[in-house]
Amino acid sequence: MLSIGFTVKAGTDAVAVGVRPGPILMPTAQAADKTGMISRVLAGAHNFAGEDDDVLPICTPSGWLVLVGLGEADGQNAARLRRIGGNLFQTLAEDGIKHLDVALDLDPSETAEVAYGMRLRAWRPAAHYRSKPDPETVWTLVSASLVTRDPVACETSFGPLAARATAADLARDLVVAPANELTPDAFVKRLQDLGEQGIDVEDVDLRRHRLPLLQAVGQGSSHPPRLVVLRWMGGRDKDRPIVLVGKGITFDAGGLSIKPAEDMEEMKGDMAGAAAVAGAVYAAALRRARVNVVGVLAIAENMPSGTAGRPGDVVVGHAGLSVEIIDADAEGRLILADALSFAAERFKPRLMIDLATLTGAVEVALGHHRAGLFCSDDLLAESLLAAGEAEEEPLWRLPLTEVYDEALKSAVADLRNCVWEDGPDALHAARFLQHFVPEQVPWAHIDIAGVSEAEEDGPLGPEGATGFGIRLLDHLVADGSKG
Amino acid sequence: MKISFAKAALPAEGALVVGILENRELSATAQQIDRQTGGLISRALAASRFEGKKDQALLLVMPAGLDVSRLLLAGLGKVADIDAQAAQNFGGNALAQLLTAGDQLVTIAVDEFPGSSLSAADFAANAACGAKLRSYRFDKYRTKEKKEDKPSVKKLTVSLADSAAAKRAFAPFESVIDGVFLTRDLVSEPANVIYPESLAREAKALAEIGVDVEILGEKQMKKLGMGALLAVGQGSEKESHLVVLRWNGATDDAEAPVAFIGKGVTFDSGGISIKPAGGMEEMKWDMGGSAVVIGLLKALALRKAKVNAVGVVGLVENMPSGTAQRPGDVVTSLSGQTIEVINTDAEGRLVLADALWYAQDRFKPRVMVDLATLTGAIIVALGDHYAGLFSNDDDLATRLQAAGKQVAEPLWRMPLDEPYDKLIKSDIADMKNVGGREGGSITAAMFLKRFVKDTKWAHLDIAGVAWAKKDGPVTPKGATAFGVRLLDRLIADNYEQK
Repeated sequence: MLSIGFTVKAGTDAVAVGVRPGPILMPTAQAADKTGMISRVLAGAHNFAGEDDDVLPICTPSGWLVLVGLGEADGQNAARLRRIGGNLFQTLAEDGIKHLDVALDLDPSETAEVAYGMRLRAWRPAAHYRSKPDPETVWTLVSASLVTRDPVACETSFGPLAARATAADLARDLVVAPANELTPDAFVKRLQDLGEQGIDVEDVDLRRHRLPLLQAVGQGSSHPPRLVVLRWMGGRDKDRPIVLVGKGITFDAGGLSIKPAEDMEEMKGDMAGAAAVAGAVYAAALRRARVNVVGVLAIAENMPSGTAGRPGDVVVGHAGLSVEIIDADAEGRLILADALSFAAERFKPRLMIDLATLTGAVEVALGHHRAGLFCSDDLLAESLLAAGEAEEEPLWRLPLTEVYDEALKSAVADLRNCVWEDGPDALHAARFLQHFVPEQVPWAHIDIAGVSEAEEDGPLGPEGATGFGIRLLDHLVADGSKG
Repeated sequence: MKISFAKAALPAEGALVVGILENRELSATAQQIDRQTGGLISRALAASRFEGKKDQALLLVMPAGLDVSRLLLAGLGKVADIDAQAAQNFGGNALAQLLTAGDQLVTIAVDEFPGSSLSAADFAANAACGAKLRSYRFDKYRTKEKKEDKPSVKKLTVSLADSAAAKRAFAPFESVIDGVFLTRDLVSEPANVIYPESLAREAKALAEIGVDVEILGEKQMKKLGMGALLAVGQGSEKESHLVVLRWNGATDDAEAPVAFIGKGVTFDSGGISIKPAGGMEEMKWDMGGSAVVIGLLKALALRKAKVNAVGVVGLVENMPSGTAQRPGDVVTSLSGQTIEVINTDAEGRLVLADALWYAQDRFKPRVMVDLATLTGAIIVALGDHYAGLFSNDDDLATRLQAAGKQVAEPLWRMPLDEPYDKLIKSDIADMKNVGGREGGSITAAMFLKRFVKDTKWAHLDIAGVAWAKKDGPVTPKGATAFGVRLLDRLIADNYEQK
């Protein structure tokens, strides 16, 4: 964890200064170049051109001077500044520097974005999974002061961004947690800690509220399924809430339709949708946002066993529709179906968004850069697409259409949960879910199967859990609560 | 099946089709029949579940009080929903009910629908078009088909008050239908009949209707430097060809053309990266993109479209053999860029790379659209309803989607972002020809994009829609010719002199 502050004057012996292509030294860099050393280094350093991914630490007699490429002034935007911050942290994290002053001569809001990038990049899996830390890779950089003429303005801009980053850390911690640690019970306990921030955490009694599809998915595990409602009611009492629904399969073995062994360990991350939803509610609470936002997390473990559901079982869900479960490994849509129906009935949402690592098909369709967006409402879709671009959690809209009702027809029940033939399973899944959402509720489904974990290090995080969705959801919630 | 338009009058023979609006609302002709027969239609409706909804139909055999042998009551749906496409579907569905029933003559009676945006003449022309499109059959190799399984209908008459107007409205459809049928024939033919040389010959036949056709053989392509296309064909005994079709219909010969590029892998075994045996026979339609381009040029020439259009199709057969290219080979494309061929079954993009470059280099087109049955990933992404649309130009993409919507050949836009480009970086060449299964149709499009300079360009991945597994209203099971009607509409709406 990196602690971040804002100050008027650099005071330590490690300072990062800005350089634009040219090279053009920013004022602090110029001041530091009294002896002409920076200019001499730049004349010789062919790998530093002041581009926005260039970072060059120089060891000077008075300490570390870190040249940070800012790119051309033209085209400087929040996304680029975040990446600059992320790269800066990543480059120096293990170099022995404990505290860094960052003096890039940017406006307060721009300075906040750099800090946001540093903060997002400064996450890694918790140390307690190793018996002893690897001394070579321990992060030495633990705090940074960003130098600005207006620290108060920086703090104001950074506040909500820091909330987003803190929430993203929570989600990434949850996704990384192995499934023997993060059982459904343990997940609920972790969520109960959010009560400290003023979030109302309800462990829904599943004997009183019948969610048969959620039960059917969880029945093979010795850890029974759970449904958790997180409520941040920062808005007016009469305001209908934004409802976020998350898929929280703490481990997905596939049930009796068991998955191949290879890569099955990745299935501990099949609760990333629920983690993102928890993170989004957490972010709203940290910001003390004047908005009503409700998270509904459907949590279960999908295991094969003597008590597991069988392919062919027919279950009547919370909405009253019967589902023939032909594939026990198409379980996410089952628990979401009940959660969506339950949430719509109980909370009368003004809009409802679900997130889920739902299908392999969406990975084939969109790869690992964009998540799939399915939406019943064009305005909501536009807001989500815009929030995704702004936060660099990009979405791509895919078709949500009744064309696939034919494919979802069951010989015995109202619906079957998937189709065996090779086909557009992500589209089938989205249309399946739509049957459980009341028509008048604007609804979006985001399939994050391709983006919940990164295959390689990026400027805003290491490989592995990304926390995808929190930033875009909080961005949407923040925009929505203004209006 | 011959099509004609006649003045409104009840026919004396054959089958008669009468439209019924939703909620059992009778059209003028239906009311007339009902009066003439003492309430036949009213009684039939009362005794059935037929309500006049779209796609519903009720067949009455030997209707008392009429001279015809069959009366088909066909649902029209709501008046407000009647548009050109609904009329085509109406015609197609009605014909399908009667095609093999035994009658030689089918008459569709069309009335003016008060409150509809579509005139009776336009409805009639579209219904005739839909029926004709649906009547397509590829049965030349069924030598022993029983008579009762063969279509009985020889003639379709559409009757309405203003039959002359309907006839005029139908004329441009006729050309497009001819183009569609050519495409369907070419796609349906097996790969021992349609191979690069014979497909080039089929294209050459368009010279008769004024299309300028040039055929390049391997020697010429080698001289030009088409190393990517040639590498795909080198495993086959059959010579590879590149065919250039030009229709110069604009008044100004020098006007920059609209270019269409088609993938024409006449059989795709996968090459050394051979495909699994199950379903491999379907790979005879891996030349679907080129067949659409050839059919389109035919349609444009037949209706003397006022546009300069160019078609470029790369024709190859992808076979494993001692001379075939190997995974790991590096080839140099016409553009000069080098490609590491990781998988010989990702061959379509190699063919298109050279064809695209050639088309834009030689013709400097206003816009360029390629069609290809390119990836299996697009079927997983979008299924068999939408084709994938990738474009470097929002305006062109919007025009294509609008045209697709009008002719019910829907396109869904897919991303073409830089982050996908890094997936096709090669360790030894400028790029490799596959980027993995995930995002597979996007990386294929990113590959093609590297062969497009600043030309406005769109790529249509038609792998999911070129061949229908079941009947649709205007496309019988089999080759659909998806793209011919769409691109003809695109040209008519955007690139043709008025």
